[in-house]
Amino acid sequence: MTGLMRFSGRLPGLPLALLLVSLPATAWPQSRPLLIQHANIVTVTNGIIENGSLLIRDGKIAGVGESLLIPDGAQIINATGRYVTPGLIDCHSHIAADAINEGSIPVSSMVGIEDVIDPDDIGIYRALAGGVTTANVLHGSANPIGGKCQVIKLRWGKPASGLIFEGAPPGIKFALGENPKRSNSQPGGRRIDLHPNTRMGVNDVIRQAFADAKHYQSRWKDYEKRKAAGEKRLIPPRRDFELESLVEILEGKRLVHAHCYRADEILALLRLAEEFGFRIQTLQHVLEGYKVAKEIADHGAGASTFSDWWAYKVEAYDAIPHNAAIMVRKGVLVSINSDSAEEIRHLNQEAAKTIKWGGLSEDEALRLVTINPAMQLKIDNRVGSIEPGKDADLVIWDGPPLSNFSKVLTTLVDGEVYFDREKDFEAREQIAKERQTLIEKEKESQKKKKASGSDKPAEEK
Amino acid sequence: MKNHLPRRAFAIASIVAAAGMFPLLRGQDRDDGKVYAIRGATIHTLAGQPIEDGTVIIQGGRITGVGSRIGVPRGAQVVNAQGLHVYPGMLDAFSYVGLTEVGAVSATNDITEKGDFNPHLQAAIAVHPASEHIPVARANGITHAVVAPGGAGLPLGGTGRGTPPVIPGEASLMNLNGWTWEEMLVDPAIGMVLTWPTIDMPRRFNFGPPEDEPSDPSFRKAEEKYEERVAEIETWLEASRHYGRAKQAGSLEAPDSKLEALLPVVEGRQRVIVVANAARAIRNAVAFCQKHKLKMVLAGGAEAWKEKKLLSEKKIPVILGPTQAIPEEEDDPYDKLYSAPGELHEAGIKIAFGSFNSSDSRLLPYEAAMGVPFGLPREEALNAITRNPAEILGIADRFGTVEEGKVANLIVTDGDPLSITTEVRYLFIQGELTPTDNKHQQLYEKYLARP
Amino acid sequence: MNSYIGSLRRGRPLVFALAVCWVALSIGAAAAEEPSRPKSFAIQGAKLVPVSGPVVEAGTIVFEDGLITAIGRDIQIPPGAWLIEGKGLTVYPGLIDAMSSVGLPEQDRGRRGGPGNRGGSGSQGELPVSAGPEDRPATKTWALAADEFDPANDRVKAWREAGFTSAVVAPMDGIFPGQAAVINLAGDRASEMVIQPQVALVINIGYSGGYRGFPNSLMGYITYVRQLFHDAGQYSAAWAVYRDDPSGLERPAYDRTLAPLVEAKSEKRPVLYPGDLAKEIHRALNLSKELGFPLIVYGAHQGYEAAAALAERKTPVMVNLKWPEKEGDADPEEEEPLRVLRLRDRAPSTPAAFEKAGVKFAFYSGEIRSAAEILPKVRTAIEKGLSPEAALRALTLSAAEIYGVENRLGSLDSGKIANLVVTEGDLFAEKPKLKMVFVDGQKYDIRPPREEKPEDKEQASETPQQEGTP
Repeated sequence: MTGLMRFSGRLPGLPLALLLVSLPATAWPQSRPLLIQHANIVTVTNGIIENGSLLIRDGKIAGVGESLLIPDGAQIINATGRYVTPGLIDCHSHIAADAINEGSIPVSSMVGIEDVIDPDDIGIYRALAGGVTTANVLHGSANPIGGKCQVIKLRWGKPASGLIFEGAPPGIKFALGENPKRSNSQPGGRRIDLHPNTRMGVNDVIRQAFADAKHYQSRWKDYEKRKAAGEKRLIPPRRDFELESLVEILEGKRLVHAHCYRADEILALLRLAEEFGFRIQTLQHVLEGYKVAKEIADHGAGASTFSDWWAYKVEAYDAIPHNAAIMVRKGVLVSINSDSAEEIRHLNQEAAKTIKWGGLSEDEALRLVTINPAMQLKIDNRVGSIEPGKDADLVIWDGPPLSNFSKVLTTLVDGEVYFDREKDFEAREQIAKERQTLIEKEKESQKKKKASGSDKPAEEK
Repeated sequence: MKNHLPRRAFAIASIVAAAGMFPLLRGQDRDDGKVYAIRGATIHTLAGQPIEDGTVIIQGGRITGVGSRIGVPRGAQVVNAQGLHVYPGMLDAFSYVGLTEVGAVSATNDITEKGDFNPHLQAAIAVHPASEHIPVARANGITHAVVAPGGAGLPLGGTGRGTPPVIPGEASLMNLNGWTWEEMLVDPAIGMVLTWPTIDMPRRFNFGPPEDEPSDPSFRKAEEKYEERVAEIETWLEASRHYGRAKQAGSLEAPDSKLEALLPVVEGRQRVIVVANAARAIRNAVAFCQKHKLKMVLAGGAEAWKEKKLLSEKKIPVILGPTQAIPEEEDDPYDKLYSAPGELHEAGIKIAFGSFNSSDSRLLPYEAAMGVPFGLPREEALNAITRNPAEILGIADRFGTVEEGKVANLIVTDGDPLSITTEVRYLFIQGELTPTDNKHQQLYEKYLARP
Repeated sequence: MNSYIGSLRRGRPLVFALAVCWVALSIGAAAAEEPSRPKSFAIQGAKLVPVSGPVVEAGTIVFEDGLITAIGRDIQIPPGAWLIEGKGLTVYPGLIDAMSSVGLPEQDRGRRGGPGNRGGSGSQGELPVSAGPEDRPATKTWALAADEFDPANDRVKAWREAGFTSAVVAPMDGIFPGQAAVINLAGDRASEMVIQPQVALVINIGYSGGYRGFPNSLMGYITYVRQLFHDAGQYSAAWAVYRDDPSGLERPAYDRTLAPLVEAKSEKRPVLYPGDLAKEIHRALNLSKELGFPLIVYGAHQGYEAAAALAERKTPVMVNLKWPEKEGDADPEEEEPLRVLRLRDRAPSTPAAFEKAGVKFAFYSGEIRSAAEILPKVRTAIEKGLSPEAALRALTLSAAEIYGVENRLGSLDSGKIANLVVTEGDLFAEKPKLKMVFVDGQKYDIRPPREEKPEDKEQASETPQQEGTP
């Protein structure tokens, strides 16, 4: 098996421009099939196919194998010596959003990232350049129950609606520990004195919120029942977007992604969720997850953690880079996330660290940023591995994907090229040129205005 | 084989001279009589071709022999390194290792003293030898580190007000092993830190949601404030020169520790580690140091690539901050900070890397390695965390390569230390075989074993 | 002819309704010093630009009792009409500032002013706490700009002299600051100047004055709008059931913020919702679709990238004439992103893009402080490809149509309110020469601008503190 870490040999020095034949990379017509040939295809779920072929049709993976017939009119990418992996998935990101925290109140489940997707965030493109194709964009951690999350595909250049990962189950952010506690104590801010002050308080805020949600749920059930029974004089209950989100959690329709650090708060949240009859979908950061890995696994929560950040606050002081590995060994579904517009650009390296710290296999390590986060977000039927029928979200690397000497050459989403290193170099020149033109043009017009004196209104003379 | 007795007499003298007010500061060679022989390894001396199946002899804290056919001295503890690799220990050329334990807890932070001009302070005495960060860093091959006061690169500059002090004090070079800071100490004053003042302007146009309007968007005012800052620095330097002349003339009324500490700086003997990131700040800092004949080392250098011609002409070495960082400008190429080290190297500039961090010091090799797929030669990436910083800091006679006579700071690994999956198997600091065990490893083992 | 009305400037001109007769005698001390007003006017031999139809060269327009009675060639001039020789003059419909703070008390400028940044409004601790949508933060849906309008405000005159005979006056001090009114820019009393008191509900996303707590983020604002609209729906449904027969039913709460929303909905009154950048325009479109309110987008500097979507949804737009500009005292080394450079370059091309795509739009003065600056900004848009005809329409008939007052304003048509602007030469000339305006059929001469002396307070119609919100 070809290693994901080490170069198996000298790579042919062909520039990618020669490999991408005949069409501008960003304009694959959806109807025209695309065939990637002679690549090391890292499927994640079915091993590595050396010198394999991958066929893309209508944005989906149509076939993978050692050799595939070339369909009529297919575009061909010769990827000799290259590695192809599924697009990486970041289970915890804050890119592409114009707001992160509605931290004014302890429960802000009424708000959602979907309303504020920022398709112009350059972070999207930079993440693509690191091989990421899907990200879970989360609300911040200012309050025990935060806002709703949005899973996006990094379709750079599309408007906000084009970034939405169609059909991804909705999610919501919870937050435990220091951050929601601290929200209280920021003097001069616009926050108000409603936030909890202890881990007891954080837990209690969540408990109260779900108690309210249950009451709200029963009011609506009662109303629907009476309505169905034909009762006429009925006042409909008020729709409350705060409680509605929580009812969705109770009904298993909305996935909880809970920011947490310490073992105690993790356990307390799991028990609270069990008491209310729902499951925590993922524990986020979960830096002390390794201490309660058994309980996490028993509850059935996933864990999405950093590779090696620690000591930036007290609750991160016992963080260890072996966290992911221990949790994997204890049967938890684990992913490595970025939580950062920077870290998202090299998630492959972050995953590779678990090989060194904790001894995961290369295969296990790569799963942490592909199929595992896909499963955590319940989108693994669409993305996370290279299998026929799945979305053609793919990354072409110039070397083994877990090596920190490799880089991304091309990133595709739905079979379309959204990042290509050669194209990027061309764009740099265009950007520089356009910048220059616009700057000069503006200077010129300012000069003209000054000359004519029309830049200042008469009243201000 | 020569037995290198401690040659610290000179070093200690120079330390005392530099330390001025602190004659007690002294480093110690450890000569516990232990002799080590690392055998069978590929030795990457970084001073020549690698030596296959070589041997390194360590004695009295120094490397006393390197080669392929070297006998093992009697009584030497033999480290069987068959199939392994020996490299010089890594030097984090700008860090806060030992000065902070938990970032968010100010009680654990000893990076930033009050006041903007504290040239007489030295980081060494605040380095906490029991900090958990130290064993964590060295487990990944960091054997020594420049520990700097100030807080550049930390959230809010370490001060909570946004910018670190202008002259926070002297950075110290520490070995990452020792029962006391004294035992760790290599040089308490490896360079005077100067945070170059920036012209802080809020961004005018906001593409995001409504937010606070910039309080003072006037460039002229910001520039005035900046110029005042620079004038202040000049005043301090001038005062120190005057102080020096008075001292020489014997007309000094009372010693002044701050002006005393600046004397080696204004006399051009002591290097100044100037923290600057923006192109303009770099340019201005270079002009300033040239004008005042200061021995400048640039630190940070996020936009050093924009000034590579100038830096190359003036032969100013650069201690780069993390490469795994977001480019300064939105329109900068996505890989700008990845490709910058290669560009600077190609321009003939000597580069080193600093973590500008404490807990993340261990990531130093990966920051250097990030430059490799984007143009930095692999050997140079390795140099940039070993011999280059030693040369930049004027300690290349003792550190930076695996050569006879040098301080035995070296690592034995199972591969290229730049590669993420490489493990450090053995670690020598000042000739002592230092455990790679650390808090993380202990917690790992403890909880992996939890039933 | 200058002297006639010119002397009225200082005094308090009476509106036409009171000047019932050409020979009416004084009704008060002030009026006793002034001649009374003519009841009808005729401009003869002028170039008439009706906007609603083709240009009439050397035509005549007659208006009486404040209403246009005839327009065209060969028009009978009623005896007793004040006759104005129109040779060399061009007559346009009076211009409409389609979203303005003219005449409103100085407002707490919420937009783009941020959370925690309300200087001078006392410490945060004194502000009411908003712990959620239920606390109705900064919500004054019932407030009418028409009720707050001050005819004596200096800017009313300044705007009029820049050719603006009406303004859509919009309150901005709140997330739901109230409702906009169409108001004529001349008169004694607001009550007589108001053309339509409730033409649109205003939403000001990002406004953070007057409360602390929720909302504190863009998400929060949008959610709040959503919740309030839903609450209004429930309010209306609940009261319908309860009013019908309250017996045995839980009493719905009274909420003064919701009734105006319910009413606005039943009247199909549009909502002015901000959208400056393309992504913000898309958000506005999405929200209006989701909540079912008729939308008018305001801002639209990056409208050139959203023209197709706006056209498809047939959504009208208020274009902010305060084009983004590089500030004079900017950092010379600041590397502004390409998208900022593009925005500054292209923002004035938005109207042209709208014209091409068939988006209905009007102009508003935005943060422009000086009335004299407004028309030059329109010129900039023309230089960027907007046809002068479309520019004129945007300033007149389109604005009237968007707010549903096109049966009264916006064109030179018989029966419409006699709001006119009379120029020598083209309105969009580099230095347009405005000679006079008519508001409600009353004539206001415009003196050519002259050098100001500091003591000349009367002429200095701008006060720097006053900011032209929105």
